Amino acid sequence: MRLLFAYIDPGAGSLVIQAIIAALVSIPFFFRNAIRSTIGRLRRKPTDGASASVSSEDPGAAAPTDPE
Amino acid sequence: MSDRPAAEREPGSYRDPSGFVFRRDGTLYRQVNAVFADDWAAFESSGLHRALVDEGVLVADAPASLDLAPEPGAVAVIQPDEIGFISYPYEWSFSQLKDAALLTLRAQAMAGERGMTLRDASAYNVQFRGGRPVLIDTLSFERAHEGEPWKPYRQFCEHFLAPLALMAHRDGRLGLLLRTWIDGVPLDLASDLLPRRTRFSPGLAAHLHLHARAQRQHAADAGSAATATQAKAVTMSDGRRLALLDHLRRTVEGLHLPARGTQWADYADQTSYSAAGTASKEAIVQRMLEAIAGDGGRRAWDVGANTGRYSAIAAAAGYEVVAADIDWAAVERHYLALRSAGEGRILPLLADIAEPSPAIGWANAERASLLERVNADVVVALALVHHLAIGRNVPLAMVAQLMARLAPNLVVEWIPKQDPMVQRLLAAREDVFGDYSVEGFRVAFERSFEVAEEAPITESGRILFRMRRRNLGQ
Repeated sequence: MRLLFAYIDPGAGSLVIQAIIAALVSIPFFFRNAIRSTIGRLRRKPTDGASASVSSEDPGAAAPTDPE
Repeated sequence: MSDRPAAEREPGSYRDPSGFVFRRDGTLYRQVNAVFADDWAAFESSGLHRALVDEGVLVADAPASLDLAPEPGAVAVIQPDEIGFISYPYEWSFSQLKDAALLTLRAQAMAGERGMTLRDASAYNVQFRGGRPVLIDTLSFERAHEGEPWKPYRQFCEHFLAPLALMAHRDGRLGLLLRTWIDGVPLDLASDLLPRRTRFSPGLAAHLHLHARAQRQHAADAGSAATATQAKAVTMSDGRRLALLDHLRRTVEGLHLPARGTQWADYADQTSYSAAGTASKEAIVQRMLEAIAGDGGRRAWDVGANTGRYSAIAAAAGYEVVAADIDWAAVERHYLALRSAGEGRILPLLADIAEPSPAIGWANAERASLLERVNADVVVALALVHHLAIGRNVPLAMVAQLMARLAPNLVVEWIPKQDPMVQRLLAAREDVFGDYSVEGFRVAFERSFEVAEEAPITESGRILFRMRRRNLGQ
């Protein structure tokens, strides 16, 4: 790994554990993506294309379930 | 060189060798160093810079002359748009910090799509502008390299995830831990403070509890060649990095404050005076603020803003408003209300005017104190003086002095002792406040201010004053 220009300390323990966590969470991640793309492909057939892309990444619009 | 104003390096801009922020003649610039030239070029050529600015994720900047660079080795100088008021993560409510966290992950996602990555994930790189969080560190992006783990992972967890989890699962006030730990909440501390049940939440179990344990383990045998080799040998496929980031995002999104009220959050709804009194107070405040705006006032500080009834009046009168309150739940409610209304002229801020945020970090200069950052033309202090004078035992003359230090104009409400709200403060204590009278108030405040206008609030015994700071040089 190229740590040459990491001006912050990524932390030995943090690096090791993030690799382990990433390996674990990648299984459901890929599974979910596979399902999503399959649904997307099925949906696209009956005209509707707009509702296929689901994104909750806009930070302002995010967290619609916050307590008011 | 000599005919140019000297450059002043921003005291908080020293950690990153890739560049730094400085001021010349009051204008803010950023120098990009040669060591960062290739990544800076990639930032441009990948289209990431443009995309981030267009989407409002990153503050816009304009190229500036290289001659402005104060130090040798510059490859570029840029002039970023200025943020009206710099706030710090320990002055944000839960949702403000959460939105800042999600913005950081959004920036990482956009970078990832263009072969770039974040180099850091500091909460201090986020500011609020127009009601929305925005990244201000234009040098936070570098080229991504095959197989690299996400280097800011630890920083993200310490700056964002740990305080958010503590606020959501333990107590909303724990965001203030960031004031003590400038580099973020230590994960072992967060792990110890979090309730046991959070060990069964996959996101918090992984990114906080296991993470803290791994840190502890590796700290124990730090320095051993085996540890260093192991850490440096960590590689991660692009897919796994995406999965990790997705999981972090879901974990942050899954955090919510428990829906409990606090002492203040419902305060606006239980005032002690009538509807006519409220209408009268609103009309007078509006008139007074418009008069000050007519004299050129643009920035207002609403101190003790609660959920922002009068901040809204100030905004409508044309001010950029900082709405400070001591109660995190009121700040949280205010922020959420503004966010859903799309109101960007008001910044809710968690601040105690009786104990303002101190200067922290290196040489006590890295993050400025709250009083150093106040840049208001007018302070609005409604239903505040009795809390300071009686609730906190601050003599009225000292209240006046602080108000005079904050801004040249003041809109202040006098609440007499017989008012139920004052009586509430005196309910369980002896009345040692002999000077708390409208005469005492006038004497105290007229030392620092001259009264420009005063108006009684209908049916309440309260009085609103508009005051101008005396020119002490005279």
